Amino acid sequence: MPSNTKRVEKVEKPATADLISSIQESIRRHARYSLGKLWNDLSRRELFNAVALSVRDRLVDQMLETEERYRKDAPKRINYLSIEFLIGQSLGNHLHNLGIRDLYRQALSNFGADLEAVEECEEDAALGNGGLGRLAACFLDSFATLGIPACGYGINYEYGLFKQEIDDGYQIEKADNWLAQSTPWEIPRPDEACLVPVYGRIEHGVDRKGVYNPMWMDWKVLIGIPHDMLISGYGSRTVSLLRLYAARSSRDFDMQIFNDGDYFKAVEQKIASETISKLLYPSDAIVVGKELRLVQEYFLVACAMRDIVRRFEQDHGGFQDFSAKVALQLNDTHPALAVAELMRILVDEKELEWEEAWTITQATLGYTNHTLAPEALEKWPVPLFESVLPRHLQIIYEINRRLLDRVSVTYPGDVERIRRMSIIEESAPPKQVRMASLAMVGSHSINGVSGIHTELVKTSLAPDFFQLFPERFNNKTNGITQRQWLLKANPGLANLISSTIGERWLTDLYGLRDLESHAANAGFQAEFHKVKRSNKEKLARIIRDTARLKVDPDSLFDVQVKRIHAYKRQLLNVMHIIDEYLSLVEDGRQPTVPRTYIFAGKAAPGYWFAKQIIKLIHNVGRVINNDSRASQWIKVAFVPDYRVSLAEKIIPAADLSEQISTAGTEASGTGNMKLALNGAVTIGTLDGANIEILEEVGEDNLFICGLKVAEIRVMREQKSYRPGEYYARNPHVKRVVDSFSSNLFCPHEPDLFAWIPASVLDANDEHFHLADFTPYVEAQEKAGNTFRDRGRWVRMAILNVAGMGKFSSDRTVAEYAREIWGVRGVKGSTLLD
Amino acid sequence: MEIAVDQIGSIAVATVPVDELDASNAGEFKRDIAPVLQANTRLVLDLSRLRFVDSSGLGAMVSCLRQLSAKSGDLKLCGMSKQVRGLFELVRMHRIFDIYGTKEEAIHAFEH
Repeated sequence: MPSNTKRVEKVEKPATADLISSIQESIRRHARYSLGKLWNDLSRRELFNAVALSVRDRLVDQMLETEERYRKDAPKRINYLSIEFLIGQSLGNHLHNLGIRDLYRQALSNFGADLEAVEECEEDAALGNGGLGRLAACFLDSFATLGIPACGYGINYEYGLFKQEIDDGYQIEKADNWLAQSTPWEIPRPDEACLVPVYGRIEHGVDRKGVYNPMWMDWKVLIGIPHDMLISGYGSRTVSLLRLYAARSSRDFDMQIFNDGDYFKAVEQKIASETISKLLYPSDAIVVGKELRLVQEYFLVACAMRDIVRRFEQDHGGFQDFSAKVALQLNDTHPALAVAELMRILVDEKELEWEEAWTITQATLGYTNHTLAPEALEKWPVPLFESVLPRHLQIIYEINRRLLDRVSVTYPGDVERIRRMSIIEESAPPKQVRMASLAMVGSHSINGVSGIHTELVKTSLAPDFFQLFPERFNNKTNGITQRQWLLKANPGLANLISSTIGERWLTDLYGLRDLESHAANAGFQAEFHKVKRSNKEKLARIIRDTARLKVDPDSLFDVQVKRIHAYKRQLLNVMHIIDEYLSLVEDGRQPTVPRTYIFAGKAAPGYWFAKQIIKLIHNVGRVINNDSRASQWIKVAFVPDYRVSLAEKIIPAADLSEQISTAGTEASGTGNMKLALNGAVTIGTLDGANIEILEEVGEDNLFICGLKVAEIRVMREQKSYRPGEYYARNPHVKRVVDSFSSNLFCPHEPDLFAWIPASVLDANDEHFHLADFTPYVEAQEKAGNTFRDRGRWVRMAILNVAGMGKFSSDRTVAEYAREIWGVRGVKGSTLLD
Repeated sequence: MEIAVDQIGSIAVATVPVDELDASNAGEFKRDIAPVLQANTRLVLDLSRLRFVDSSGLGAMVSCLRQLSAKSGDLKLCGMSKQVRGLFELVRMHRIFDIYGTKEEAIHAFEH
């Protein structure tokens, strides 16, 4: 164990022999009685399970204490609904948060085991695709740390995001059956199962009083079984819940059919029901028209709402107080059915009048928008929607009728506006239900996730809604938890920071500002550099083992790790690499500095472009890495199977953070924050949270390049983008573009990349590759020159870390709590006051 | 299925004799309750044994109600578990049935 690790863990009680002994006893007990194993027969994975279960005992105690406290105080509860929670590994987080890491390390050492090795046995809980799911996971950490009474609601996918393998440069997807070996963290709660009807039809009739009564008939029923994951907060007494629902059939199988001899038919319905929670859809954008996805979304919403209403009725009185005691935040539109579901519960089941139910629904719900691309906004064909959720469609029609009445009164005669604002899109058959419109109409708060994104939501995405109810729109810039992304991921830097400025930063990230006064200190710089160098050595070993490539830890580690997507522009990065390579081998122009270009990220299985980019990176890497003329200057590495636990190893080793999305496309980004927090300097466009990082660290401490949002808007409006002119005028552009059609990078698969010139020379290239190419190359040149001056570079890196205070998810969550949910003054949480 | 029927004056009290009333036995229930519906206009269905009902089971009860309504009779339900009551509410069927906590309350409602 590194001796300096102890310095940041002062929250721990003294590592007394008694405590360590009781931990050892607890681990042994779980090995024997929970796992049914003799101690000497334990595999490392089983040892992990025994350790995790012993940690879980402590979490359960604190969770029960937390629940008891909430029951007594009856505080307002926050419910965070998200179709994804990208948790990753949990053991390390819990050990840090509970302040018992050293004790467990010692206990395991006494067994002859190594804590880090045991931690590595944990499967990532990959219940998410990327930013949206990871944001939800960071929020859970912050809720618990701040002591906010909160519960996350999601789906207990049996298969998480696919595992990525690479075969000849092509991505191969392998199923991620993360529950195959079971997880020690989940507590199943079959006694709290809930029933979820789906499908069927509406029978129009009257009730006993002669009032219209639409009855939902011929539905099928799913059963949702909650599985609780315990979420610890750093140094706090709070352990809260992430409640994940698994779908089960209402019957094991139809005994009648079974008795008639058709076993397979008998289990058919059971299998179909359980399919609902089988699989996480592997797209980071929108899943269009998939019936199973719509059922998944309703399954999540129905289970969550039933649980939330049950708890409210258990703790409180009439529904008039519902919004005073319950807040629901919708993480994007996937749970937007909550608007119709809460209305259905209040009107159909609790028999409230429509107006009262609507007031309660709006006051309870808040909606977070995560995307600007109109084509990425979730819509469902009305016939499909009606087949799956006939009663909810009726309710949505009524919500829409009332909305459009209001629009007509406010803007008389503006038929076009009515068409734009309708929740039901009528332009082309079949009609579509617009989920973002439903979420906006049904929520009292609509927030974007960075300053520029929120402005674009107001002005480009939903200007009509902004004009109708401007008071609902607000910004909540995303954040990340520093406990996971610095304390856990980068213990060397965490120790250095704590020993220099103390530990305040762990619960108040603004404390990192105190590093500014050390940024020019040669001794501190040397220590800082030493930590980075050590992290780079570790990553170099991972690259050697996974990508079969030897890289130099003294080279500049230029890192782009994120989903592979056109708007994130990995292609622009590759074009720069090719330019640098061809300048070296054809012009004899040496790069400014030896670099290792490091990529990692998954492509959605059905996204051809992204999969081609992965192949391109590998092929370019294969040519350059095998060219002796370039060997001391350029290396290109693609690290397979990007996931949270791998991010925790790559990010601390990065020198340069690639954040080069087309301006106006990245809602916020959080990878940019994680990398800067770990001392990487950003090269990026003025997009998403990059703009706020610039504001916090100062323009001298990052490399900004490329078109701005307003410039792109003008070019689009005036159709003035002419990529052919860049190609004709700039020989570097021409050489790079031509290299794709020359088969230089695909000698064995001719024309494999011939689509790229056609794409980037198209005036309709949505991502303006050629316009941004030269500014990007110049910024890279500047970055390389700066890196050669180690003192200057390290100072920049330190100032990046120092400027990251704003980007803690503690700050983000505290803003949601104060300004959207109306939660204040939870004991010990100064951020909330 | 064997449906036990108590006759209390002009009121028939039938007990649904299963834990689950669903697609696998709703047809059987309809067949076996048919003579009771033919012979009576005032029926109390005691659901106290029932733990789960699906849309077929609910449909069977709606069918009972309609047959009785067609001859100016009525059906009252009693003894619902919380879960079964929840399902009635979920699909708004609690609004078309007269629902009571106990058998005695349901009989009393018929008598007054």
